[in-house]
Amino acid sequence: MGPARCSGVGSGNSGAYTTEIAESLRFEEEIHSIVHPSLDSSPAAGGSFTALLGLPANQAVELLHETGPSEAPGSAAAPSPTGELWRLRLGEHAAGPLHLPLGCSPTFPSNAALVERAARFSVFAAEDSPALSSGGGPSPRLKAEPLDSDSPPLLPIPTEKTQRPAKRKECEKSKAKGPAKKSKSAEENTAAAAKETAAENTDGEKLPYVHVRARRGQATDSHSLAERARREKINARMKLLQELVPGCSKITGTALVLDEIINHVQSLQRQVEFLSMRLAAVNPRIDFGGLDSFLSAECGPLATANGRGGVALDPALWSSHPVTANGARWLPQPQIRHVDVWPTQQSSTAWTRDGPAHPHALLNPGASLVGYDPASSVLLNSNQLKTEL
Amino acid sequence: MQVTRTFKQAFLEQMLLGFRVTDVSSKRMSFQEKKSVIKLSADVALAVARGSRKWTRGLIANLSMEQQKRQLPRMILVKQYERLMKPCGSTSWKIPRSKKILRKCLRVSSTRRKKKLCAVEKRRRVLRRLVPGGESLSGFSLLDETLDYVLSLRAQVCLMQSLLMTCEASKRR
Repeated sequence: MGPARCSGVGSGNSGAYTTEIAESLRFEEEIHSIVHPSLDSSPAAGGSFTALLGLPANQAVELLHETGPSEAPGSAAAPSPTGELWRLRLGEHAAGPLHLPLGCSPTFPSNAALVERAARFSVFAAEDSPALSSGGGPSPRLKAEPLDSDSPPLLPIPTEKTQRPAKRKECEKSKAKGPAKKSKSAEENTAAAAKETAAENTDGEKLPYVHVRARRGQATDSHSLAERARREKINARMKLLQELVPGCSKITGTALVLDEIINHVQSLQRQVEFLSMRLAAVNPRIDFGGLDSFLSAECGPLATANGRGGVALDPALWSSHPVTANGARWLPQPQIRHVDVWPTQQSSTAWTRDGPAHPHALLNPGASLVGYDPASSVLLNSNQLKTEL
Repeated sequence: MQVTRTFKQAFLEQMLLGFRVTDVSSKRMSFQEKKSVIKLSADVALAVARGSRKWTRGLIANLSMEQQKRQLPRMILVKQYERLMKPCGSTSWKIPRSKKILRKCLRVSSTRRKKKLCAVEKRRRVLRRLVPGGESLSGFSLLDETLDYVLSLRAQVCLMQSLLMTCEASKRR
């Protein structure tokens, strides 16, 4: 979703800036949502980090605003590097696209102070907020040297840093290894500073292969990258399962979530067994010939309601059917009234707990439904049922 | 999302077919027998309706292992599905052995995160036992199959409930 949007923006003209700004704001929200659960170092640092995140985003927006009205070609060029940056390239320099703003925007040196402030704030700090607010001691100096040499290409950096949430633990590691990277070229540093995980790309769309840009100080070997991709896949699946199983979205922690999933699966299996027992008690009377299509039509809205929907629409539907002479087949009605008889989960848990004693009480709503219909038509229909035997 | 109309139709058709084949309506079978036959029919119907997935193959394999004599009439019906299953089924049995060995090595080597792994690993083991054919799965595929299995189980429960209601409502008249 991200790359597609960015590349679309890159192809537009300066009028596309509003979309870019909206995008950066949206990414900020994404970052907030991602950073908050993924933080395990300290909640205080996390709060300060997200507070810091707000600033660079605004500054990036300001920067974009400033460069926007000044030159159209520069503005057209600026989104495209960010658009291209979204596309991850293994081991490739991002120097190419970054050079474009170098040439086209002479306003950059004037923003050096702003850029430096943004750079300072965009340092992903494991340090506490007071250390950062006091000027950030050694950390900005770490970044100042590589930054001074390439202030121009830093325009995309604040947006990059805000737009690339990455993983916090790895960012802390990367900060420690910052000085080690001074020997590398400036472009490579800034390029390596932002890590684009496969998560944002592969969650929505399926790329033919995943390009990953190495993070600063992070190992670029295929093993860790593949492991990270694998972990992202597993986390995505866990989230899906959490949404599926009722009452699981509030739970944090893999073990508890798996607990809930296991309980849910066991309860469903018990339900199946109980239902088969009841069917065994009821079944010998009736053999259904043409009812399957009818039942499938009926179950349409019910099954989509997450299995919570009620079941006995049949008597209501039977009354609305035209009584046919042969009675062999019923045409499924196009409009189906979606009525919840009783939530299956409640009833099923009652069944599993109390056994056969409860079904009689539970059957009353079903019986009342039957009572709503004109008795004659229902009798006719059931007679037609029995003729199929 | 996955519970399509074709799925429901296939499930119900297969279930009714199973009822007819096993002649569940007759008076000769005991209550327990009827119950097991109906459950078997429901499970086979679920597997057939879902198509070819790891848990469906595992489910059918389990069912055919449990009741040899009862499964024969069912196997005749499901022959075309078995043919789909056979080539994939044989290869998947070689994988679990290597995966189990790998898992043991990993468990021995990772001493740092032992405590955390234990809590999650225990549950993973339980989940593997619950999901049919889950012994050979690990990590991502386990969760994937669990997701699919939960959705299909829900659909199965819903459809069986509707079937039951229809039977009971008509029986009352």
